[in-house]
Amino acid sequence: MKVIPIYIEAGISGFESPAAEYKELGLSLDQLLIRHPNATFIGQASGQSMEGIGIFDGDLLIVDRSLTVKNGDVVVANYNGCFVCKLIDKPQARLLSASKSHAPVTIKPEDDFQLEGVVTRSIRLHHPAPELTACMH
Amino acid sequence: MYALVDAVSFYASAEKVFDPSIRNKPVVVLTNNDGFICAVCPIARRLGIPKFEPYFKVKWLLQKHGVVVRSSNYELYADLSERMMNVISRYCDNQHIYSIDESFLHFKNYGGLIKDWHQYGHEIRRAIWKETKLPVGVGFGTTSTLAKAANHAAKKLSGYNGVAVIDSAQNGKAVLERMDVVDVWGIGRKISQRLKQQGIQTAYQLSTQCPKAIRKQFSVVTERTVNELNGVNCLSWDDVREPKREIFSTRSFGQRIVDIHSLQSALTTHSAIVAKKVRRQYSLVKKLMIFASSSPHDDNYYKQTMVYKFPVATDNSCDIAKAVSLVLADIFVEGVRFYRCGVGAIELESRTFRQPDLFLPDNSNPVLMACLDKINNRYSQGTLKLGAEGQSEVWQMKRNFLSPQYTTNWRDIPKIRC
Repeated sequence: MKVIPIYIEAGISGFESPAAEYKELGLSLDQLLIRHPNATFIGQASGQSMEGIGIFDGDLLIVDRSLTVKNGDVVVANYNGCFVCKLIDKPQARLLSASKSHAPVTIKPEDDFQLEGVVTRSIRLHHPAPELTACMH
Repeated sequence: MYALVDAVSFYASAEKVFDPSIRNKPVVVLTNNDGFICAVCPIARRLGIPKFEPYFKVKWLLQKHGVVVRSSNYELYADLSERMMNVISRYCDNQHIYSIDESFLHFKNYGGLIKDWHQYGHEIRRAIWKETKLPVGVGFGTTSTLAKAANHAAKKLSGYNGVAVIDSAQNGKAVLERMDVVDVWGIGRKISQRLKQQGIQTAYQLSTQCPKAIRKQFSVVTERTVNELNGVNCLSWDDVREPKREIFSTRSFGQRIVDIHSLQSALTTHSAIVAKKVRRQYSLVKKLMIFASSSPHDDNYYKQTMVYKFPVATDNSCDIAKAVSLVLADIFVEGVRFYRCGVGAIELESRTFRQPDLFLPDNSNPVLMACLDKINNRYSQGTLKLGAEGQSEVWQMKRNFLSPQYTTNWRDIPKIRC
């Protein structure tokens, strides 16, 4: 939410706030977290397989489609009609999890597979956000 | 050089962006109230699914082929359209967004800067696909009409693969010979019927006609089309950009309505939509048309149309809604099961050149209207509305096969399996 600050000015003193000319636009998380707004979408992580690199169930994922995927990147891919978040092992064409209880998955020629984008940030909501929790799972 | 970039069956393709499970399936999208098929993806087209057919008529065919059916998800399409247009804008400094999925580009003084238009077109396609996952066709031509023709070839004719360039008489001929005259930009169905009676079947045949003779028989607009097909620029950017002369909002109801209050809230909502569109193009409404009808298939078909003329042209939603209230009693008839209603601004004036009335008070309230638009643009349409629009949803659009609003509603963001 954007709060619009309205300053009370009595109009008596005639002194303007000494900070007035230093006022700038507030900090924007969008600006910090999203480099390519047209190519970026936000998704929500579901599952435990990426906990080793700090992505937990319910985290927000910022996915940038414009970046070129490098080996070892955290990616989102379409794997047989489902969005998945994994580490990519390009030389061996595998999807790796960041958890001991999930084995690597080898991408076979008959699989339906497309890289969707690179996960550039993940966001943990330490307090639940009502906008999201209304319909979670 | 001009270019036209547009998406391949945009609505259907947009449905596939955030739903990977249907990427390789046939998909169709239905119009308002799930009435007609308005978009058919290439896979469905190959199965012979027809466009513009009523849904109920082809339901069996869709089921037989396992076609995925979706209602129009305008929230999603508007967002994806904006992304696509922004990506396109990187490729040319002069862009004109012509419709939700079409964008003209004008490369002025680019002489020699772009060596290979084919390659450039493929670059644009690749970037849009990578960043938005929307497939597009790109057509280049020495006029906007030729760019439109090249775009048609890029998407519809075999051997072009998404990009076509018309920069000479030879490659122009190759495209225009294979193009039906009805597909030429600016030639409607009526004109094409008359042309065909004279043996002019293809776009190429039209291009060989004498422009002066065409002008005599048809109009100066058709003459321009002939010239444009021959590489002579006749359409200035401003012709393409001209604001709309009429703005309508009409719709059939999800279910019939029989009481005056529901009709009022439906008409008022339409009037608010019209008012918003009017403001967006810096116009004012002088005359407003308000109508409601039962279905033409009913016994005793009923239709009533009223025209309200404003003393001073306005873009104020409150004034426009007031006009609806004033004529409502003349439109509503007890016992009629209303099927459709709408509001149209049929006479518009420019806000820039507005003529105030010396004796009438100025009712416009630009600050309030700007505030209203800002809130609704930010928090979605209908967040802030007039009391007369009501809370009832009975008359609202039927969208039984609606996909989630993946990019505009937090609750709908895509789930990603970890």
